[in-house]
Amino acid sequence: MKFIRVNMNEKTITIEDVPQDYRGLGGRGLTSIMINAEVPPKCDPLGPENKLIFAPGLLSGTPLPNSSRISVGAKSPLTGGIKESNAGGTVSAALGRLGITAVVIEGQAPEGELSILRIDEKGNASLIPAQDYKGMRTYKLVEKMLEVHGEKTSVLCIGPAGEDRLSAASIQSSDIDGRPCHAAARGGLGAVMGAKGLKALIVDQRGKSPDAIADPKAFREAARAFTKAVKEHPEPGHMMPTLGTAALVAPLNSMGAFPCFNAKKGVMEGWEKISGEAMAELIKERGGKTTHMGCAQCIIHCSNEFVDREGKYVTGSLEYETIWAMGGMTGIADLDTIARLDNLCDEIGIDTMSTGVAVAVAMDAGYKEFGDGAAAIEMVEEIGKGTEFGRILGNGPATVGNHFNHARVPVVKGQGIAGYDPRAMLGNGVTFATSPMGADHTAGNVIGLCLQNKLDPLKAEGVVEISRNLQIAIAAFDCTGQCFMATVAAFDPEPGEAFRKVLSAKLGTELGPEDFPGTMGVRVLKAEREFNRKAGFTNQDDRLPRFFSEEPLPPHNTVFVISDEELDSTFDF
Amino acid sequence: MKLRVKLYGSLSQRFPNYQHSQGIEVEIPDGATVKDLLALLEISESQGAVVALEGRILKVDDTIRGGVPVNIFQPLSGG
Repeated sequence: MKFIRVNMNEKTITIEDVPQDYRGLGGRGLTSIMINAEVPPKCDPLGPENKLIFAPGLLSGTPLPNSSRISVGAKSPLTGGIKESNAGGTVSAALGRLGITAVVIEGQAPEGELSILRIDEKGNASLIPAQDYKGMRTYKLVEKMLEVHGEKTSVLCIGPAGEDRLSAASIQSSDIDGRPCHAAARGGLGAVMGAKGLKALIVDQRGKSPDAIADPKAFREAARAFTKAVKEHPEPGHMMPTLGTAALVAPLNSMGAFPCFNAKKGVMEGWEKISGEAMAELIKERGGKTTHMGCAQCIIHCSNEFVDREGKYVTGSLEYETIWAMGGMTGIADLDTIARLDNLCDEIGIDTMSTGVAVAVAMDAGYKEFGDGAAAIEMVEEIGKGTEFGRILGNGPATVGNHFNHARVPVVKGQGIAGYDPRAMLGNGVTFATSPMGADHTAGNVIGLCLQNKLDPLKAEGVVEISRNLQIAIAAFDCTGQCFMATVAAFDPEPGEAFRKVLSAKLGTELGPEDFPGTMGVRVLKAEREFNRKAGFTNQDDRLPRFFSEEPLPPHNTVFVISDEELDSTFDF
Repeated sequence: MKLRVKLYGSLSQRFPNYQHSQGIEVEIPDGATVKDLLALLEISESQGAVVALEGRILKVDDTIRGGVPVNIFQPLSGG
């Protein structure tokens, strides 16, 4: 249980025991509560007062499968509020195996100076000059890191977009094969990393000093029960390794809730060409991988490797949100183009979702035609080159909207929406509007309830309460490092209890259903809301853009009908 | 009545030579419900199939109307 605090001004590294106030926290809970306590809310997100925190989940580094999600937190340059963005890959398990609770990056390096923070297999940290890697794209950088520091190295890094401090810049995370194709993409945390002068955090995966598990026997038994439930659950056990999240393209279009052409329609003509089923067929035909292990200790294998006509790797893993943003929002019904755009974003180190929405806003404003794949690639390339337009695009959809004086900008708190139109799925509209993170598909997504026929996506009744409960649950699970794909199994009572026992055995505290997810989730959300209030946010920031309430979405021709008063009751706790 | 059905996720795996562009054609009695259709296709409740028609998700007791394709997929909780 230790913190590694790095001061980028002084180039000093301090290792300290986790202070009492932060004990029992991990992942999002730790990053958010720490930011609320230590970061001046009105500070410049790209200045020295902001802190960038990398926190593995409470269960990262334990033998529990699917527990390698890393939370990255800071004040966001995109939203101006608190941000936690989490990513898969291998680094969270690597940090957990070293008993590192968080790496906290403070201060700011002198202008133009770039470093890499290395943590070796004994947990010793050092800063290495990284001038040679300036401007380098992420795949090349990871290749170099593995060459110099060994194959058993996990990498979190930024690309040119992060170095350029663009508000939609991501932090890329390397997978099992050493590809930086996972991302803590949302909220521009890559820009914060760039502003600190940190090109990469690299961690040796061979650590053997994880924090003790308080009750190893109880842990083993509960972990076995939960793992069995994950394997037997139709989603993580069957659907995810078959099509991955791309399987969502079909239901979202079949429900008329797939926002496309910059959220002008709810069904995309030609969506079958970019469905998960079409993607899997194409990958199979070309000899790629429809299922693949991406993250450390994964038993689900939801990722894929998309290859070109020659069978050469293009990108991994092509996911629903990227297909929607780069294909649906832009009207580009072509998987090869979408895959190319996905890879380009990973290479440059920029959020595929914000970028897809930003491209769509530009197209909607008349800059290019919807459906023009070549133009979209050219536009995203401009981000990597750092041209004037590239900088506008890389600062996200709201900046693009301002540039073109175009009002149809689907963002909340400056962050682009995800692939569920609020007019055809009211519950996600509530989550988008009220999440302290800005519009976010991971914060409390009601799609599962809609597809299980437990919630009518078009009915307003009860959706505020549903969104609230989901947001609380997700905030708690985000503390554990557990992947959402496995978390799905914990939504059923028995596996949910098994998961609680895993966590109890790890922490040495008997947790009841009220403690987890309830109390933990509420504590996290309260800290996040408090920070946002102090940063200047009001109820008016918990609103969707006006066009969602005014402009009916075909085919249902409905609008977002949840009142401001109802939205403001979301966090009545 | 004859009905064009498209199967998504892994539901099509049990139908040899299934092609997404075509789907499959089934015959159901007038007034048949979602439950009847799933039984005909031998899709069990545990597979958690979701039936959508004209942009709406149907409940198990809803009656199927002819003339428009039916999409059947499996529940998913998010991406």
